[in-house]
Amino acid sequence: MSNGIPLAEALARYRPDADLGPLPELTDTDTLLNAYHPDHLRGSVVKLAVGANAGDSCQRDLAGLLQSEAFIDEADLAGTPVTDIDVLVIGGGGAGCAAALMAAEKGARVLLATKLRLGDSNTVMAEGGIQAAIEPDDSIQRHIQDTLRGGHHAGDPALVSAMAGDGPDVLRWLIRQGMQFEQTPSGDLHTRRAGGMSAARLVHCRDYTGLEMMRVLREAVIQHRSIEVWEQSPAVELLSNELGQKCVGAVLTSLLDGQLRIVRTRSVILATGGLGRLHLNGFPTSNHLGATGDGLVLAYRIGARLRELDSFQYHPTGLLHPSHLSGKLVTEGVRAAGALLVNGLGRRFIDELLPRDMVCAAILRECSEGRGIRIDDQRVGVWLDTPRLERANPGLLEQQFPNLMTRTRVSGIDPRLEPLLVHPTLHYQNGGAVIDTNGATTVPGLYAVGEVAGGIHGRNRIMGNALLEIISFGRRAGIAATANRDRGPKKVTLEHVNRLRRALTLAGMPMTQRAPQVLPAYAAGGVWNR
Amino acid sequence: MTTSDATANEGELQPSVILTINGLAVNAHKGMTLVEAAWHAGVPRVTSVGCMEGVCGSCRVMLRRGKEVTVGLACQTFVEDGIEAVLLPPASAPQHHYELSDFKDGWDIHARFQDIFPEASRCRHCHGCDNACPKGITVENGVALAVAGRYREAGDAFFECVMCELCDVACPELIAPAHVGLFSRRITAHFHQRPPNLIHRLEELRQDKSGTTQEEKDE
Repeated sequence: MSNGIPLAEALARYRPDADLGPLPELTDTDTLLNAYHPDHLRGSVVKLAVGANAGDSCQRDLAGLLQSEAFIDEADLAGTPVTDIDVLVIGGGGAGCAAALMAAEKGARVLLATKLRLGDSNTVMAEGGIQAAIEPDDSIQRHIQDTLRGGHHAGDPALVSAMAGDGPDVLRWLIRQGMQFEQTPSGDLHTRRAGGMSAARLVHCRDYTGLEMMRVLREAVIQHRSIEVWEQSPAVELLSNELGQKCVGAVLTSLLDGQLRIVRTRSVILATGGLGRLHLNGFPTSNHLGATGDGLVLAYRIGARLRELDSFQYHPTGLLHPSHLSGKLVTEGVRAAGALLVNGLGRRFIDELLPRDMVCAAILRECSEGRGIRIDDQRVGVWLDTPRLERANPGLLEQQFPNLMTRTRVSGIDPRLEPLLVHPTLHYQNGGAVIDTNGATTVPGLYAVGEVAGGIHGRNRIMGNALLEIISFGRRAGIAATANRDRGPKKVTLEHVNRLRRALTLAGMPMTQRAPQVLPAYAAGGVWNR
Repeated sequence: MTTSDATANEGELQPSVILTINGLAVNAHKGMTLVEAAWHAGVPRVTSVGCMEGVCGSCRVMLRRGKEVTVGLACQTFVEDGIEAVLLPPASAPQHHYELSDFKDGWDIHARFQDIFPEASRCRHCHGCDNACPKGITVENGVALAVAGRYREAGDAFFECVMCELCDVACPELIAPAHVGLFSRRITAHFHQRPPNLIHRLEELRQDKSGTTQEEKDE
């Protein structure tokens, strides 16, 4: 991709008050998506050969991990210390914390195990806000319609209805936990309208919504008497009963001492998040270090059905420069506030508030057709016209987007004076484990909530639904997992691992790759004995 | 197509920088953060990394430049010649305990605060917390506001807090300023945030489960 307009030339041409020309009409969105969206890149999708989704389409890199060898055998379990607990939550982001808090509130003893530090998650980086239909001209029904339409009608209406209906109560719950939101002078929650929304529905805490949510939930979890937290403790395998048909616990390792630990439980809640750090199709990512798709691998191996494994969200505005922030987001809130996208010719090329997949495809089209701005052979992007926004609304960037300003200040960039160079970045896994409205997967005893679960966002998520989903379904799963009062496991086995191994052998698949990945290759020095 | 690998942008043209990370000599390139440099050089056991954009507070690092010792976040600190960096272990569990559900009444917040954070009123104004904060928060002032019962203002002072808890480490009186800040923010929302638009919608939903707008009801 060496074509494009050199950076110096584009900068010389750039004026925050230039006439951007008319917005070209977008006639055929399907053609745009098919031609330019990374999900449709030739050769990036394969068919799964084994497991609950055999025959389904799946992104190539992910398929390799789903159909891979486990790290442990029965022999590894001998002499391994065992912990018994009512509910095990795997993952310490927003979904995991919400599930743990709700399970504890319902009387369960909860163990929350997380790969890195409690709160290290994509939640903490969510900037834009959380959707809830609270304005007079809005309704739950509209929220449902927008979510389904944004997801190209691939979402499960029952799940979407459950989530949208929870919206207002989720906000109440978060405020009760101590989360602050931006308010108008009269005390109303301030709302914004963002891409794909038919009404102003995005509630936020300036551009630190996720950080505010995460630090409050993290503190609530740490302070809760019935929740034990194990940090630096990634799950390497789930445990099943003798028949390999029910989830009865998990095997955790430790990044601190490499010791395996068995946790026996009646319910496991997977809240492991997404997989941006797999860098699908070679894209940069906005995700935190631990987002390596471990939950999908574990769920698939124990037999859970997954969905939309070929559909990922590439956020339109990842930073291209400076390099240490490559792939990190400029929140959609900036576009919602009025910032425009401009190509190297100084022209607008897409309605900035269309759903993310279309805006992403349009940016990739500009780049590949030579209208992008080129830093070097590998880095081509388009402008996000922040100086124009600042001209129209002096002080707005500093006041509403302190996070963006702080991050760029460290690198000596001032978005008020120079436009930001952006390029799509791997942001979100649209699909995931099939769940019901309690967050229960197709495997008894196993729940999945948050990004690891699928079915809500269809084939494209609209802004602000991720923060809503993690709390809505986190709470639902926490309650449902606690309601399971059976006598707990008699025996914990790796029967499901043996079953997948047999299937892989029968299918003639290689078993050279091991999963879950735990950390991306460039940070693998953090994992013991690998 | 851009590349994703953290080392892909190491830029062969960038001049090299020699520093120490966790006691190991590291050869990095100008423009790298300490996190990128640690990965680039294969420094083992670096697991206190999270968001890489300065909002999760995980990658706490102690820095020594000659005789000057400071703390910061490794993902926000660029390599420098001769700097000695030590990534700090995760913070230990907090020593101050409370649950918001134990607070029955907003009138007794202040009395409870003194019980939960008894050290807060003993601040000796050493500025250790202010100097430790990688976000430039006026921590000491925030604590003083909480001690004076001004929880909303105290919470506002901690708005950019990323819970790295470096101020907790720096405090010789063990005040745990980060937790004082979060307490102040949480108590403010819990007792004082009562948004009419949200409350009205909740009431509508309570009366009519369908949650339709007036316009849709008319249709």
